[in-house]
Amino acid sequence: MTSASQTAPQRGGVGEAASIEGLHISLQRDGVRSNVLRGVNLTIGRGEIVGLVGESGSGKSVLALALLGLLPSAAAPEITGAIRVAGVDIVHGSAEELRTVRRDELGVIFQDPMTSLNPTMRVGRQVTESTHDHAEAIRLMSAVGIADPELRFRVFPHELSGGLRQRIMAAIAVAGRPSLIIADEPTTALDVTVQAQVLDLLRELRDEFDCSVVLITHDLAVAGQIADRIAVLYAGRIAELGSVSDILHRPNHPYTVGLLRSRLSLETPRDRELLTLRPETGSPGERMTGCAYHTRCPLAIDRCAVEQPPLEQGGIPAADAHLRACWRSINDVQNLAHHSQGDSVVTPRTRNEAAAPAVRVEGLHTRFVLKSGGRKRREVHALRGVDLTVQAGEAVSIVGESGSGKSTLLRVIAGLTPATSGSVALAEGGAQMVFQDAGSSLTPWLSIGELLRERLLPLRLGDAENRKRIDKALVSIGLPLSVAGVRPADLSGGQRQRVALARATMIPPAVLLCDEPTSALDASLAASVLNLIREMRQELTMTVLFVTHDLSVARLMGDRIVVMTQGEIVEAGPVNEVIEHPSHPYTQSLLASVPDIGVLA
Amino acid sequence: MTRFVVRRLASAVVLLLVLTAIIFLLQAVSPGDPVKAFLGNNASPAAVAAERQALGLNDPLPVQYLQFLTNLLHGDLGMSFRSHRSVTSDLAAFLPATIELVTVSFVFALILGTIFAVSGALRWRGSAFYRGPLLVLATAPPFLLALGGIVIFYAQLSWLPASGQGADTTGPTGFLLIDSIVTGDPGTWGVAWQHLILPGVVLAIAPAIAIGRILRSSLESTLQADFVRTAESKGLKGHVVIARHVIRNSIGPALSMAGLQLGFMFAGVVVVEQIFSWPGIGNYLANSIPVSDFPAIAGVTLVLGTIYIIVNAIVDVLQTLADPRLSA
Repeated sequence: MTSASQTAPQRGGVGEAASIEGLHISLQRDGVRSNVLRGVNLTIGRGEIVGLVGESGSGKSVLALALLGLLPSAAAPEITGAIRVAGVDIVHGSAEELRTVRRDELGVIFQDPMTSLNPTMRVGRQVTESTHDHAEAIRLMSAVGIADPELRFRVFPHELSGGLRQRIMAAIAVAGRPSLIIADEPTTALDVTVQAQVLDLLRELRDEFDCSVVLITHDLAVAGQIADRIAVLYAGRIAELGSVSDILHRPNHPYTVGLLRSRLSLETPRDRELLTLRPETGSPGERMTGCAYHTRCPLAIDRCAVEQPPLEQGGIPAADAHLRACWRSINDVQNLAHHSQGDSVVTPRTRNEAAAPAVRVEGLHTRFVLKSGGRKRREVHALRGVDLTVQAGEAVSIVGESGSGKSTLLRVIAGLTPATSGSVALAEGGAQMVFQDAGSSLTPWLSIGELLRERLLPLRLGDAENRKRIDKALVSIGLPLSVAGVRPADLSGGQRQRVALARATMIPPAVLLCDEPTSALDASLAASVLNLIREMRQELTMTVLFVTHDLSVARLMGDRIVVMTQGEIVEAGPVNEVIEHPSHPYTQSLLASVPDIGVLA
Repeated sequence: MTRFVVRRLASAVVLLLVLTAIIFLLQAVSPGDPVKAFLGNNASPAAVAAERQALGLNDPLPVQYLQFLTNLLHGDLGMSFRSHRSVTSDLAAFLPATIELVTVSFVFALILGTIFAVSGALRWRGSAFYRGPLLVLATAPPFLLALGGIVIFYAQLSWLPASGQGADTTGPTGFLLIDSIVTGDPGTWGVAWQHLILPGVVLAIAPAIAIGRILRSSLESTLQADFVRTAESKGLKGHVVIARHVIRNSIGPALSMAGLQLGFMFAGVVVVEQIFSWPGIGNYLANSIPVSDFPAIAGVTLVLGTIYIIVNAIVDVLQTLADPRLSA
């Protein structure tokens, strides 16, 4: 320990690192003001890890920025209520006071370490900015698990791997011995194996530096791995708050139950429709009366629409309380948790061994030259001899981490990237591709109707027939016909991905190529898109190649699983065999890293 | 890094060769007989023929081009028809004044552009009061600005001189600002500055806005970057965040625009030098064009082109220094 930290004044003193009381925040965006947080009460005890879980739009990241006193001034934030960090009033404090709190009491780890580190500054210097001391920086870098810290001190962020970059962020976060670390989706941008390491690291940092951690995530299982308590946030309010085992195993709020059930795991039944939450129809943040969740809640009663259920009797909740904001009895909610499974779906066994295979890839090699900034060239050998045959009607999942070559393989099959050597043969009908980011794969200035019509143009069907086909496509993806008139920006992420699916399948291709189509979506939306792909596959007897980094998704979407790493297929086989008896060490490590919460008890 | 610099220099040399080829071809196809221009229209045909032979004008074009290049390497740009002196010595006499004017003006442009960009990006209070006028001024053509400046600051207010450099250089470098210090003459130094202000500012305004706009938009996008949020969450002071994290990541596009503008300024100097009777190569060029003094025109073009190519090569290297990802 350095002498500076020994002489540091006693922090907090009342056993809490931060407290949030009656917090309301509204932000302005494009001239429209919306209530992002609507009455949040929460304390973060010293040395405690609190998981803050919610879907996108729940206000969890705004809460993080509010704790830091860094709400963007462009959004003209209006704040009522109180935030105290280490005894300092964050809501009313001067800019200088807030800066001092950030410097002395707060550490932060953001989602994407690539963009969150300054690309033109050596990483060591970025750590030193917080430590003001070279030796301390080196010590912290080795404390967060960076081997050869002296060597790594002099490199730039782009020269490190994603996991190492996030470790640098962690070193910055713990520099100056903060009393509270805020981790905003710290593992979302990382591969699963790295995700597990970063979560372990957070817990170790808490143990070693005796700080508190607010872990913000969309995934209950991630929070469940290291948190002491979990707060489930819905539309700017805490829906349920309790210990990890309470939340994960005895959920008392229908929303928590819904989140848990729509979460995909290695135990999710393969032969049933995936459970989803009812889709959100309006903007819940604008409903000032009633429970924000009532439009989606399977247990909603009349009272839910008019009267807002309180989380507790007011004031700051006790540390060990299990609190919920719901009018229905705990029994009713627990019944919901144990009841109702999805409708069973008959998995199509349309695999036709006699027919020609839909895709036949032989000895495929792909190299490309990365030209960074048009200067020095670096050759990447993305595919190193891949052989893959997909029978007509078969669904194959390709699993791998970033850089494994799985997306490149898909792009080569789609004809978007040329192969260096080897052959790709497709059955008649060709390939259609659905990309990860539906937002950027739909042309922003075309309406949905125009986007779909484009696909029909080569058939020369005439306007009336085109219209009929477009309507049919929209019905098949469960969207209203009026969607034909709007542009992609007016749709939600899940709806956009549905449109992308409709575009790909309205003229059924020989093979549908899906490149992580759900990894940018909330769990429930992801499940509904996966359901849709499985339905379409059944109806159109389509061949599907599904690329994902998530073994639990791969297990649900494929008849077979193919595991790739470093441009090679290291394991391939029927789903059950690969999941239950993985033969390759890489598959085993992937399986071990899947965060899980066990069967809902 | 070293490899990148070497490659960038090599491409600069290729560009220079292309430039010489273009200048040579223009000279070759231009109407008007250089020999007659040199000897005068009354020269006897025999004298003209002899001179043609002596100048190598009867040789095939590639041979002439090689001769042209060889002469160039020896610093021989031919004789000016107008002054009857070697173009090289003419350029040596006029170039320092131009470089001095453009350099000072470029510094003005960088300062004005940076203030314009930073005040806009950080939303300084009252910044609209000078950004507005600056924007209006930038839309005016330089000759109008020059005349306006002369009318106001020379004719009406008598604050600033309106023509020439104010003194002749006697020192070793040819640059008045440097020579006056070297020879210990602070009076001349002050006079030189007085004479530089008007033409310098007139020449600087349009580039200042061009550089400022680019810098402003890259500053604004950098201010939104995640790593700036990281820097703020470290509790760094506002100006430290700007200086360490924002500036360097915003400078790239502004650097290439500055290089481009510096090139334009050497071209734009022709008009400004004429109006302010500045004894530089712009003036020299303006006097050479009407009399088709091709060696002089070619010489000036070659010098300006060379400066342009060198400036852009330097800018590329600077960009690489600013952003380590470019050389990775």
